[in-house]
Amino acid sequence: MAFSTDMGIAQIQAGLRAGNFTAREVAQESLAHVKAADEKVHAFLELTEEAAYAAADRVDAAIAAGSFDELGPLAGIPCAFKDNMNQEGTHTTCASHMLENYVSPYTATCVQRAIDAGCIPLGKLNMDEFAFGSSTESSAFGPTHNPWDLDRVPGGSSGGSAAAVAAGLTCVALGSDTGGSIRQPASFCGIVGVKPTYGMVSRYGVVAFGSSLDQVGPFARSVEDAAAVMDAICGHDELDCTSQQVKADFRAACKQDVAGMRIGIVKEFMEADGLTAEVRERTLEAAAKLEAAGAELVEVELPHVDAAISAYYVLGPCEAFSNLARFDSVRYGLCDEGHKDLGGQYESSRAKGFGPEAKRRIMLGSYLLSSGVYEKYYYPAQQVRTLITQDYTSAYEKCDVILAPASPRTAFKFGEISDPATMYLSDVFTISLNIAGNGGMSMPCGLGRETGLPIGVQLMSPQFKDENMFRVAMALEKEYGTAPVAPEFSDGKAGE
Amino acid sequence: MKKLEQVLQDWEAVIGLEIHTELTTLTTKMFCGCKLEFGAAPNTHTCPVCLGLPGALPVPNKAAIESIVLAGLATNCDIEKHSMFYRKNYMYPDMAKNFQTTQGPVAFCMRGHLDLDVDGPAAKERTDIAGLGAGDTYENVTVTDTGYTAHVGITRIHMEEDAGKMIHIGGDEGRIAGATHSLVDYNRAGTPLIELVTEPDLRTPEEARLFMQKLRQIFLAIGISDCSMEEGSMRCDGNVSLRRRGSTKLGVKTELKNMNSFKNLHDGLAYEICRQAEVLEEGGQIYQETRHWDPTMKHTIVMRVKETADDYRLFPEPDLAPYDLTDEFIEGVRAKLPELPDQKAARFAEQFGLSVYDARQLVEGEQTASFFEKCMEAAGAGAKKLAKPVANLVINDIAGWQNANEDANLADSPLSPARAVELVGLLAEDAISSKQAKEVFAAVMDEDKDPAAIVEERGMKQVSDTGAIEAVVDAVIAANPDEVARYKDGNTKVIGFFVGQCMKQMRGQGNPKVINQLLAKKLAE
Amino acid sequence: MTQHLTERDVRDIATYARIGLTDDELVQMTTDLNSIIDTLKPITEFDLDGVTPTFHPIGSLSNVMREDTERESFTQEVALENAPKQQDGSFLIPSILGEGGDR
Repeated sequence: MAFSTDMGIAQIQAGLRAGNFTAREVAQESLAHVKAADEKVHAFLELTEEAAYAAADRVDAAIAAGSFDELGPLAGIPCAFKDNMNQEGTHTTCASHMLENYVSPYTATCVQRAIDAGCIPLGKLNMDEFAFGSSTESSAFGPTHNPWDLDRVPGGSSGGSAAAVAAGLTCVALGSDTGGSIRQPASFCGIVGVKPTYGMVSRYGVVAFGSSLDQVGPFARSVEDAAAVMDAICGHDELDCTSQQVKADFRAACKQDVAGMRIGIVKEFMEADGLTAEVRERTLEAAAKLEAAGAELVEVELPHVDAAISAYYVLGPCEAFSNLARFDSVRYGLCDEGHKDLGGQYESSRAKGFGPEAKRRIMLGSYLLSSGVYEKYYYPAQQVRTLITQDYTSAYEKCDVILAPASPRTAFKFGEISDPATMYLSDVFTISLNIAGNGGMSMPCGLGRETGLPIGVQLMSPQFKDENMFRVAMALEKEYGTAPVAPEFSDGKAGE
Repeated sequence: MKKLEQVLQDWEAVIGLEIHTELTTLTTKMFCGCKLEFGAAPNTHTCPVCLGLPGALPVPNKAAIESIVLAGLATNCDIEKHSMFYRKNYMYPDMAKNFQTTQGPVAFCMRGHLDLDVDGPAAKERTDIAGLGAGDTYENVTVTDTGYTAHVGITRIHMEEDAGKMIHIGGDEGRIAGATHSLVDYNRAGTPLIELVTEPDLRTPEEARLFMQKLRQIFLAIGISDCSMEEGSMRCDGNVSLRRRGSTKLGVKTELKNMNSFKNLHDGLAYEICRQAEVLEEGGQIYQETRHWDPTMKHTIVMRVKETADDYRLFPEPDLAPYDLTDEFIEGVRAKLPELPDQKAARFAEQFGLSVYDARQLVEGEQTASFFEKCMEAAGAGAKKLAKPVANLVINDIAGWQNANEDANLADSPLSPARAVELVGLLAEDAISSKQAKEVFAAVMDEDKDPAAIVEERGMKQVSDTGAIEAVVDAVIAANPDEVARYKDGNTKVIGFFVGQCMKQMRGQGNPKVINQLLAKKLAE
Repeated sequence: MTQHLTERDVRDIATYARIGLTDDELVQMTTDLNSIIDTLKPITEFDLDGVTPTFHPIGSLSNVMREDTERESFTQEVALENAPKQQDGSFLIPSILGEGGDR
């Protein structure tokens, strides 16, 4: 069987082993597919052809030498990276004019691990500017389109990563999730997206948004493919103090069933304002399917979860304000020259380099941390973090995994939500998890009855028990099947 | 402007110091593995972390944390087991991340102190205790026989990172004012830096200078830094305010920068105290501002007026895990604590019967203290007897030689402890005069020979034989009847003339003590 | 909507954050920030007496340190690769007179 861009990891690796196609052909066809189809989607900001062919040749050499199995879980697999991940020699723009001409002199640990695991790195993916957003509309280089409906957003901030996988432009991709930036776009694009427990994957080399909230994770069209990426990238990194020693085998977890597992349903989530009927329906349906598969459903409470969204919009901007201070036109980044003094250069470079959302968050963070205000918002937000963490800890005494919607609704149209405060509410089901640092993932559970668009169900796990949610996800995947490439982009139609 | 002594009659100066010390003896920077090296080509010791590249993360250097705990233990601080790093946010081009990683309200080391022994002329600046006697106490001061001891509180020592270096171009002499551009080098950025903050317990520029000196001795003894004030690895800022004698209300303080030597620290503070007194006495007002000490012009100039307190948006650094130092960790560091200068001085005084004053001078330098100690070993059974003359040799001749030969290492010099003991022995036996001893010392350093050999070679034996000297004395008295008459008229100063004549006749080798004794006896006859 | 910040306040924040704003942008930013700060209200209404803050999400994490061993640095060329302006192996910036900071 020839290589097709619809294939998952197992199929591609079987094809490579059998000699049906070479890794170079995988690279060639994948890059050709991107060039043809990405005009519509605009998921990619840069193609890394040289790196892709170098990686492919290494895989082909290993196959010839009979050492293919030593390469790692991603051997020969097309992969692409969110453009906030440094990869030496590539542009790492964070979809911002600020970094338009910045070329990374080093490589992020997660990117390096994916490459070390044998992946074929195709390129860098679009996102909301500096990951500030839930629609990828704030990219300075134009929005990404949802492969299921090109008039709609792919979600965000890792919208490019989700859309690329959903359109079959790459087999897997990496994204980052600060308040739902992996799970929400995965849900909008009908694929699997994983936000691991904070500390599971190194953040070194991933441009920081909210340092205590950010986590890197995979996008894939099947649970097992996501598990393979997790196996490749997770674990301690001596360059990231907050990364942990992890003894996890995600692919092994996928082989376990859910019989006897307790699935928590959160009352506060299912009764939330703004949760659409079709999403609620699919979420409850998924729960019922798990019950049928032998799991036990239990109701759990997260009494402080309401506070999560305001805590997030305190902590996120505060950390972002500080993290983005380094973009000052001195060492790298946009520099508006011709000023006599540095102060003028600072202000005009940052005015030109940052988009409106980045400016809002920097300004907000600067205000919230100022003396007298810190005590009113930042400190209580960190206290709320304690309460939310305790809520989850109590909930997990009653259950092994929590099941919830990933997003209150399906993908919205471009420009449909313009008010920043309203946009922030679309993360209502994802944010509390980043506050608590726990693991979560979104996986497709069918299309909406009204919109006909993909709906994602969110699975959550206690800290460092991320394998739990993979077991549950596998049980659901048995019911729903693996995620298809969006109809308009499935193989054979690609680029037409 | 009035003189300091005059000003301090009417005004009390309240001084606190902030002392930054780079941990130069470590191999790498605070949060990354870049090498610490002074004077390398610009931007050759940088990486994503210390250049503040997007995505880079800090990892603390364990040896730096050990060093600051060591510094805390050596300055009587409480070691806080639980502390965190914070981000201090402000944009400045030599700071790559545009925030400085530092500590918050709780530092690794809190609530320490040092006791300063202030003696001799240094004690005179303290006019408020002039009338008190030994053993009396006043505020943080206890009066001693030779001066006083001041108990100076240390608020905290916290861990942070240094900034890069800038060169200002297009103007005069590398100053910011007038420069059109600056060049930024991040080699120094991220150098482990500890900041010690004192309580406002210092009252005179001398106390400030002595505090800095003592702290430097301690930091050198524990080996955490080369403490070079010239190269900026130890830097001191001072906060000064004045209040009328008898008042307890604090005045408005100014912050003084650029005091990069002990002398500048003293002179800068002294100037600033006098300046403030003048302003206040003329009915003026002191503004809270940062001032720069200009050692060439010998005055302080305003750098920056602080209208409101700086708001640095401090918050806990999310990229760094908090600290929960274990007893095991702290005790492990304590085990590395060497004998500190104060302890060494006390031991020298006790073990070798030296005065506290001499012992303290011996321990001022690590080299001299260890040399003295080796001499005592070399002297064996005679150690206690030779301690005072060896101490004199070290404090006077050797210290002088060190001042004249800045880069020289005493341990590598021709003066081995054995030779020093030999030299002091010759002096103690009256085999040579103290004047000759100085000549022998210089010759040992120049010619790398044993003292006895030099004495032999130069025929320098001191004549102490009473008979031989008596003959010379008799002859001199006989030859100068006029002077003898003057002496007998009560002009006893003439004895100097006789001594000189005797020494001349003996070609400088007569024992002056014996000559003096004999002359006094004979002239009285 | 509560007026948390005046335009004057927003101008001050922009100056501190080093972001140049036109007068029109200032008006819009003031509206946006006030509206966002309104949504943060719940955080000010919780009874948080005696609740310890959690600054780091992984509670058990502490004392993470590295050994004092050297890692390879960038060459000067790589360090300056992205510099908007450079001279004599250093980053070149216009005059810093008037910059505040703790110097």
